[in-house]
Amino acid sequence: MNPVTTDAAVAAIHADVEEVLLTEAQVRERVVELGVQLTADYADRDPVLVSVLKGSIIFLADLVRAMPIPLSVDLMEVSSYGDATETSGQVRILKDLSGSIKGRHVLVVEDIIDTGLTLNYLLHLLRDRKPASLRVCCLLDKPARRLADIEIDYRGFTIPDRFVIGYGLDYAERYRNLPYIGVLKPSVYATGGGPQG
Amino acid sequence: MAETLADSPPPRFAHDSEAELARILDFYQVAWRYEPDVFPISWNADGTVVESFAPDFYLPEVDLYLELTTLKQSLVRKKNRKLRYLRQLYPEVRVKLFYARDFKALMVKYGRLDFLADVQTMNGSGPIEDGDDRLGGED
Repeated sequence: MNPVTTDAAVAAIHADVEEVLLTEAQVRERVVELGVQLTADYADRDPVLVSVLKGSIIFLADLVRAMPIPLSVDLMEVSSYGDATETSGQVRILKDLSGSIKGRHVLVVEDIIDTGLTLNYLLHLLRDRKPASLRVCCLLDKPARRLADIEIDYRGFTIPDRFVIGYGLDYAERYRNLPYIGVLKPSVYATGGGPQG
Repeated sequence: MAETLADSPPPRFAHDSEAELARILDFYQVAWRYEPDVFPISWNADGTVVESFAPDFYLPEVDLYLELTTLKQSLVRKKNRKLRYLRQLYPEVRVKLFYARDFKALMVKYGRLDFLADVQTMNGSGPIEDGDDRLGGED
């Protein structure tokens, strides 16, 4: 491995960050706080934590390790408007839950709630499957452009209207591995790219 | 009754950005109506309505009106003023103004910067950059 090339690659991923919005330590501390609260609320409920690929996986991984109680995890993936090959399409389930949630206590774990359109669709879908309860936990709440009424039961941070990356959040599939929440430099997306997950 | 773009005939949108937002709402199966209501906001001495405001969209499931304002700053100021009157006269009405920066953020989120560029070209304006006062904001 060439150490010069490695250093340049590491520097490059951070170079696209305009500002660190939430440090690694801030995120870690808040996730633990959420875990403590969820542990108390779900101690005797054997919850299913449902996460939406791909952005939520890092938050989910840290959150479940802060919840030392019996629980299970399941994953879903839905198509994004930006992925649609034709503009007249509708949202589709790309990966459904592996198990039934009927009669279970379901906690949807989301990385970020922005417009709320994807989550609104998912909550309707999950509610139809008759869970015993259905609640939402998100790490980041960005309410400025909300187009759906979403009741957030557990919230990590409320953030301003900035394009954020890191800790699972991407731009064009990049930056998910940043350990903090950063603001992407506008010059990066001014040149085009793919959707945020 | 809520509309979708599959309705025949689809609404005649005043701006391509409105049609794009309708496509996004359709995609996520969010019910919408296009300009369903007109709110009078000023009257002359004999009670005749002289100015009114018809928000672009109504989302019945969340009881929210949505107004898009995406290009000219003069229109943004006018809409901000109308919105102020609307909120004073109809405090029970929930209305949200989507500025150019909000629409741009949606297009970035969905990887639709090409659409944004097309819209700006069709409207004869240059590209909207961060810091450009056409991005909106309170006047």
